[in-house]
Amino acid sequence: MHDFLRYTVLGLVVGSGYAVAASGLVVTYQTSGIFNFAHGAIGMFMAFVYWKIHVDMGVPTLLALALVLLVLAPLLGALIERTMMRSLYGASTGAALVVTVGLMLTLLGAAYSFWPQGTARILPEFFAGSQFKLFGLVITYHQATVVVVAALVALFLRLLFYRTRIGTAMRAVVDDPELLAMNGANPKRVGQASWALGASLASLAGILLAPLVNLEVLILTLLVLNCLAAAMLGRLKSLPLTFLGAILVALGENYIVGYGPGNVGSYRGALPSIFLLLVLLFLPQARLKSGRLVGARAPRVPTLRQSVISAGVFVVVGMLLSGQMSRSDLATYGGGLAVGLIMLSLVLLTGYGGQVSLCQLTFAGIGAFVMGRYFTGGSMLGLVVVAIVAGLAGFLVSLPALRLQGLYLALTTFAVGRGVDLLFFSNSHVFGYGGQLAVPRVKLPGLSFQGDRAFFILLLVTFAGAGVLLLALRRGPFGRQLAAQSDSEAACATLGLSLVATKAIVFALSASIAGVAGALYGGLRGGVTQNDFLVLVSLAVALSVYVGGINTVTGALIGGVFFAVLPTIGAHFPKLAQTQYLGTGMAAALIGRFPNGIVGLISNGVDRARRQFAGAGIHERAMEVDGLAAPAS
Amino acid sequence: MPLLQVDEVSVRFGGVMANQGVNLHADAGRITGLIGPNGAGKTTMFNVITGLQDPTEGRVLVDDKDVTALKPHKRARLGLARTFQRLEVFGSLSARDNVLVAAEIRKRWARDGSDPKAVAEEVLERVGITHVAGERVDAMPTGMARLVELARALAARPRLLLLDEPGSGLDESETEAFGGLLLDLAREGLGMLLVEHDVDLVMRVCDLIFVLDFGRIIAVGTPTEIQHNPDVQAAYLGAEDPDDADHAAEELTHS
Repeated sequence: MHDFLRYTVLGLVVGSGYAVAASGLVVTYQTSGIFNFAHGAIGMFMAFVYWKIHVDMGVPTLLALALVLLVLAPLLGALIERTMMRSLYGASTGAALVVTVGLMLTLLGAAYSFWPQGTARILPEFFAGSQFKLFGLVITYHQATVVVVAALVALFLRLLFYRTRIGTAMRAVVDDPELLAMNGANPKRVGQASWALGASLASLAGILLAPLVNLEVLILTLLVLNCLAAAMLGRLKSLPLTFLGAILVALGENYIVGYGPGNVGSYRGALPSIFLLLVLLFLPQARLKSGRLVGARAPRVPTLRQSVISAGVFVVVGMLLSGQMSRSDLATYGGGLAVGLIMLSLVLLTGYGGQVSLCQLTFAGIGAFVMGRYFTGGSMLGLVVVAIVAGLAGFLVSLPALRLQGLYLALTTFAVGRGVDLLFFSNSHVFGYGGQLAVPRVKLPGLSFQGDRAFFILLLVTFAGAGVLLLALRRGPFGRQLAAQSDSEAACATLGLSLVATKAIVFALSASIAGVAGALYGGLRGGVTQNDFLVLVSLAVALSVYVGGINTVTGALIGGVFFAVLPTIGAHFPKLAQTQYLGTGMAAALIGRFPNGIVGLISNGVDRARRQFAGAGIHERAMEVDGLAAPAS
Repeated sequence: MPLLQVDEVSVRFGGVMANQGVNLHADAGRITGLIGPNGAGKTTMFNVITGLQDPTEGRVLVDDKDVTALKPHKRARLGLARTFQRLEVFGSLSARDNVLVAAEIRKRWARDGSDPKAVAEEVLERVGITHVAGERVDAMPTGMARLVELARALAARPRLLLLDEPGSGLDESETEAFGGLLLDLAREGLGMLLVEHDVDLVMRVCDLIFVLDFGRIIAVGTPTEIQHNPDVQAAYLGAEDPDDADHAAEELTHS
């Protein structure tokens, strides 16, 4: 009984911390319409800044707190809104998500380079760990403070939203920024205020929680998942339910620690994922929203002839180049092709279908696992089974969220990815104790791909073939239907299309491709470890394909090579390794302005040049003024 | 038996009643008007009929069958199609592909062995937009995009077509032609429910008109009856005093 009470109190305390963080997430989402993946990362970063100012530089507690919570965090939030988020209002779910993912990776990288791992940093509890007894339980003043602060935050937010002008404006802005502007408020300023407030709440939570869960980069960053699970109970909207969700998640975690099975760490970490999935099952169906989306103008789709010729040229050039490549080059660029294939699965899902997955490497990992575990001989049948199993996994993942809006599916995939990381990939029966699972290279009758160059060529052909198929799909009825659905779900439904069925099919198909890519990736490397498929890597993959160009095959190729080559740049030029993170952040910031990525930029440039060369007509010039010029079809 | 019947439907948004105890019906081969001032609840009614909005109370019946619990795509398969006041075109596709995709979707569920390409060309011709069929819809002027939505809805071969302000964005001669098209379609047996602000057009083509105001039906009748209904005259321009009502009457009887 005493133990139970202890776990309950701990749960309430930690849950209060989560609640503070989660409320910030909801406030930002509700006012700006952007779900901030970097919410945990902001809290993490500012907790480290607080450590630097307070512990390292010795600034007194209150002054340091005021500096971080009232000056630096709001500044950071406002800066993020101004530089990254403002161009995103009205953007697609995917674009908005990957921008905050980029921010998250940037803050992660920055924190790792400012505060390298290996040194223990401790953020002390408030009141230096003084404690008191309640019902025979020892409770520290810090723990009590966390609970009191959470209650004050709840009160503050309530007063803010219902008693102040800026708070009312914040509630109004997400519904109709134009209407709000006509009523004399400035939607931009309101958006900025909400990001400042969100950042401040994240930082407050980070500082409160760090002494309880450790001042550690990854732990604090991934708290966004706990917040997300909590906020889901309130449908990303209701603050009281979000608070309740936070408490429930933390109680669950602590009971698992107290009474759970042997592998406590994994189960505890996976609890938010499980909680989120359970909540999703009970959420009511989303209303089909009709409304304008600032669509990214899709680049022209090449004809079959064009795509076959390009694919042929690509394979031949690749083969010629491969003759000049060293073994490590073959591995690097081959990796780029395999990752490119995973990105191709995202082009289908996100670029064509308008759905977002943040766990594509999870499917790749399942593919590598099936191939390595059950088809050690490398038979072609293995790849077929891999495609089926990964497709089924994708179908299952998509099920609970399909009837909800796109954002929910994206968030679910993140939760699933994290859950699979902790419960499946880290299980010693899957990839072995921190070890490698050997994955064979496929064999075709009469053809061997055992040589590095041969396997590289196989990857070339596979990527080119998949690209041609994807484009053929895009030109056909299914592709048209996907484009239609991503332009207007409401219109599709009123034409008799079952949205859920189409979404499930495209999600499964995309997971299938990712699974096959994973098996090939394993073959290329000879084996895989759990670290190859972490959900954080999935996030980076999603970001990279946006940078390349989310709705083109070429975009996936650029993204894949970019992704594979970047780490080697870091290895050759250690000084550049840190700017890599800055580069990621900057790339993410540009996605709002250039939603078709590098490919979009190039094709716009080409079109413009072509038009100027041909002496453009008035009509085309007028379209150019529009911003992103549409390629003539 | 009417093709569509709306039975005592109410919709509440928070404290606002967008629709309140609405009864209306629409028949095959006839054009039924649904008019009323801005914010009277016309689009909400369309959303309820097509399944995009659940009513707080009441039922929607198609062929006397209760469809209130059916999803939008199931209702479409019973023969309902619509256009949208705030355009819901497939902006990244050409006009031709907008229509083609609708014909393809229809073929999938109807399994009627139709040729979607032929259907699309026929409908484009019918609506008179073949000459712009290759253009992307998000680059089109609103009036033209509305015609694309009409063509798209027709490609689903509906029995009842709900038109939400199809005439806005069209000039006088286009409106004239458009009215003719609607009458032709009705003659061929298509039922239509028409929300439209162009009073002339409504009076010209409708067989029966329902008038909504503040979410309630305040009058039902033939165009002539509606034109001379004092309640309508008052409500339509929000006019309380007799002078304004006279003015409204003038406006209404103008045609």
